[in-house]
Amino acid sequence: MSRQQAFALALGLGLAAFGCSNNPYPDADDTLRVFYTAYSEPPKTLDPQVAYSTVDHDVLSNIYETLLEYHYLKRPYQLIPGLVVDVPEAEPQPDGTVAYRFQLRRGVLFAEDPSFSLGGEGVVQRELLASDVAFGILRIADPAVNSPVLVPLSKIAGLAAFGERLQKLRDEEPGFSSLRIDEQYRRAGPATGVRATNPDRLEIVTQVPYPQILYWFAMPFTSPVPWEAVAWYDGEGGRPGFSEIAVGTGPFRLTRYDKRSRIVLDRNPDWWGARHPEWGAPSATYPTEGMPEDVARGTLDPALAGRALPFLDRIEMRLEKETIPAFAKFTQGYYDRSTIPKESFDQAVRNGALSPEMEARGMRLERAVRPGVFYLGFNMEDPVVGAAAGDRGRLLRQAMSLAVDVQEFLRIFLNDRGIPAQSPIPPGIFGYDEEYRNPFRTPDLARARALLAEAGYAGGIDPETRRPLRITFDTGDTSVQSRLRYLYFIDAWKRLGLDVELAATNYNQFRDKVRRGAYQLFMWGWVADYPDPENFLFLLWSELAQSNGGGPNTANFADPRYDALFHDMKDRGNDDRRLEQIAEMRALLEHERPWIELFHPEDYALVHGWLQGFAPMGLPVPTWKYHAVDAEARAERRTAWNRPVRWPLAAGVVLAVALLVPGIVTWRRERRA
Amino acid sequence: MTTWLLRRLVWGALTVLGVLGFLFVLFFATAQPEDVARRAIGEKAPPEAIAQWIANHGYDRPRIWNPENPFDTMLLEHYRRMLTFDFGRSDADDVPISQRLGDGVGPSLALTVPLFLLGLPLALAASLLVAFFRETYIDRMGVVLAVVAMSISILIYILAGQYLIGVLLRWFPISGFASDPSVIARFLALPLLVGLLNGIGSDVRLYRTVFVEETNRDYVRTAFAKGAGDGRVMARHVLPNAMIPILTHEVVRIPFLFTGALLLESFFGIPGLGSITVDAIHANDFATLRVMVYLGALLFVAGQILTDLAYTLADPRVRLG
Repeated sequence: MSRQQAFALALGLGLAAFGCSNNPYPDADDTLRVFYTAYSEPPKTLDPQVAYSTVDHDVLSNIYETLLEYHYLKRPYQLIPGLVVDVPEAEPQPDGTVAYRFQLRRGVLFAEDPSFSLGGEGVVQRELLASDVAFGILRIADPAVNSPVLVPLSKIAGLAAFGERLQKLRDEEPGFSSLRIDEQYRRAGPATGVRATNPDRLEIVTQVPYPQILYWFAMPFTSPVPWEAVAWYDGEGGRPGFSEIAVGTGPFRLTRYDKRSRIVLDRNPDWWGARHPEWGAPSATYPTEGMPEDVARGTLDPALAGRALPFLDRIEMRLEKETIPAFAKFTQGYYDRSTIPKESFDQAVRNGALSPEMEARGMRLERAVRPGVFYLGFNMEDPVVGAAAGDRGRLLRQAMSLAVDVQEFLRIFLNDRGIPAQSPIPPGIFGYDEEYRNPFRTPDLARARALLAEAGYAGGIDPETRRPLRITFDTGDTSVQSRLRYLYFIDAWKRLGLDVELAATNYNQFRDKVRRGAYQLFMWGWVADYPDPENFLFLLWSELAQSNGGGPNTANFADPRYDALFHDMKDRGNDDRRLEQIAEMRALLEHERPWIELFHPEDYALVHGWLQGFAPMGLPVPTWKYHAVDAEARAERRTAWNRPVRWPLAAGVVLAVALLVPGIVTWRRERRA
Repeated sequence: MTTWLLRRLVWGALTVLGVLGFLFVLFFATAQPEDVARRAIGEKAPPEAIAQWIANHGYDRPRIWNPENPFDTMLLEHYRRMLTFDFGRSDADDVPISQRLGDGVGPSLALTVPLFLLGLPLALAASLLVAFFRETYIDRMGVVLAVVAMSISILIYILAGQYLIGVLLRWFPISGFASDPSVIARFLALPLLVGLLNGIGSDVRLYRTVFVEETNRDYVRTAFAKGAGDGRVMARHVLPNAMIPILTHEVVRIPFLFTGALLLESFFGIPGLGSITVDAIHANDFATLRVMVYLGALLFVAGQILTDLAYTLADPRVRLG
């Protein structure tokens, strides 16, 4: 055998040893009911009281459950009972507080876990109690937990005071911190507004009317947590910390957590929904009602509707930091759904619909407007563009608003993935008016120039300097791609004669400028925590101004009438009066222009035909229990789509031999000569 | 020898201390503890939660100088932790950093060790081949290919490799990792191939020069004159004598096998130490970043000392002192 032949054989054997397959999963898994999905960054924490990112919630909200959930298909979003029997009604009390009484389901079990041995030798599992829900809520106030939602949930009577007492004991009493966590909480005393009156009854009391509290009970922050797991998983003695495990009551349990490469959730055989299908609980049954589009989409398929959940045996999550490889694997059938990277957008979508190539592969395109808003904001405390400039500043803001064509922006930069925003409130949220058109959000350069002249900046010239008015556009993103986006706006204002300068710094420096109030104009976005107009309109409430302690009102907008309306609106139920108040607030914003509303983002997702029961939700809430896969169809497609092409290997070997042999032969001949 | 070693260790220690100091100053010149906190617990976290996080993580103390207690500063704490190898917990997700290092070193070594072990003999064989056929078209073609290979960015290799091998030819998965021995080779094949292609160009260029220089020496002519065969002359005479520059180039790489391959790990989804470093940079995770930089500095110093020691093994004429 020649050396060349040996080389070819070695390469061939090498490839054979590797299986010569691009399948990233064991072949034995091909026919299992597994849902394959990718995540782009590792979860920060699985502690439900702390987790605040989408990927955190993707994992833990399938393991931990909440007292309430959202209806999977109905829009606007509708709360349904989760771990409780009914959605409770607000019960105003004589002292001005409001009580909510939750009736928990009995017979709900936590997944088996060694931590339960703290409750008795040999114990590996126990029933969910109302005290577990109370324990989870109290953890929000625990300074050591550092939950990011203590401020809004401090409306629960006595919750903040509980945290203060706990901290005081930890600071003052030696050895207190080394007590078991349940003992620490017991010693700190109860929070008056969190009462487990029975093993299956929980009473929550808010100090003031706060109807949005119910939405918080549909978020993982208020998930019940067993004290045993918190005490056991302390990060000592080889045990992981509580942020690295999950012990819940949900339809799936965490079986593998290599968060930097792979996360696996397996069906929880002890899930109450699977053990008690006869209950027909809304959160444990596939819905039979939805929206008209659900019929066309197949999400009201009779094969699914009314059936007990979940349909999957396992969820496989793989880390894919880069979007292109993730999308390529999706097209090979190795992920069941995918977002569309901008580099592959034209390959997947043509004229707003799925491309014929993708359609031929049996894929579907799912679109959903996310409950969020992106906007350009003015710093209202700035002497030129802000409220201090009086009418002149307002006219300037109105003119600048009229110059921005967001439809064109969406077309150029976002492949039309978004709908132009007329107000802060996005579709699907109470108070959104499809008919409403903001008169300052339809591009009109002539009117903008007239307003600018009225402001005293005729042709964009500042009469004091006799040069174009200089405004600084501050951003925390120095990437070329973002720069192009910002330049789009700057070019629009240049057409009015304004000299808007881009001040692009890194994000940290930008935050520092915001902290110091050294900014005029910025771009920002917000995605709802819960589907209520309060969660958008508070972004312009003066009590939450950036200059007033670093609140999310970065525009520092302060208007007494707006504040008064907000104050009343935020505590009301969704009635006509609330709608009127929202309309009046919207009119104020329309006139004052602290924001130039840009767009509500629209998510595009590609889904393979074998994935059933997929409906885009918008909110980061658990949906995977509603998904089903046709594993046989998937295995068939994967095989057909991924047959390896081997001939280039042989061609490469032949080419190498062809290049080397003549040289060697010639060299030998010359040597002999 | 002992004096030399002590002197090198002292200089090495000063270098590492300097690197730690620079890292501290540079990091906090561009980032505030609030930024670190915000990245850790989310953009939406209220100021109260941010302040609590900063206090919980010790970023609320004076950075460099504390008039009330000069020993209670962030800088001294930074040095104390590093010098006692008390790495603490990640700022991004509170996981113990030593645990993360333990988790990451395996996947990193799974990639870098085969890359090193395959890359070195491959580069040596290829450069011996082109040096042996010097001034023929095989040599010229080899040099041109080497220059082309070293001129292309690794990102191009990665993207082209993923597209060509993973998408078009469908030989291996585009990315991913599994520690399961039955499938690990499937995941490592493509990054290995890309890593080899990326590294071989510059290595062949360098080693060919070394070998050509050696093959022109008198002892090679003598060996041929005594009737030694081509293979024997190249392997037994030329190769050992060319070891010093090869050692300089290769031994210094060995310690860095532990720190992983930043881009390869990041693009191929290998959860090694290289991708931990990249993630720490993106997440403003100072606690992790400083450990990776510290270990990198220690390994660099170790690599330099090892290289010098290797000289003495390769060439008896070299004396350290």
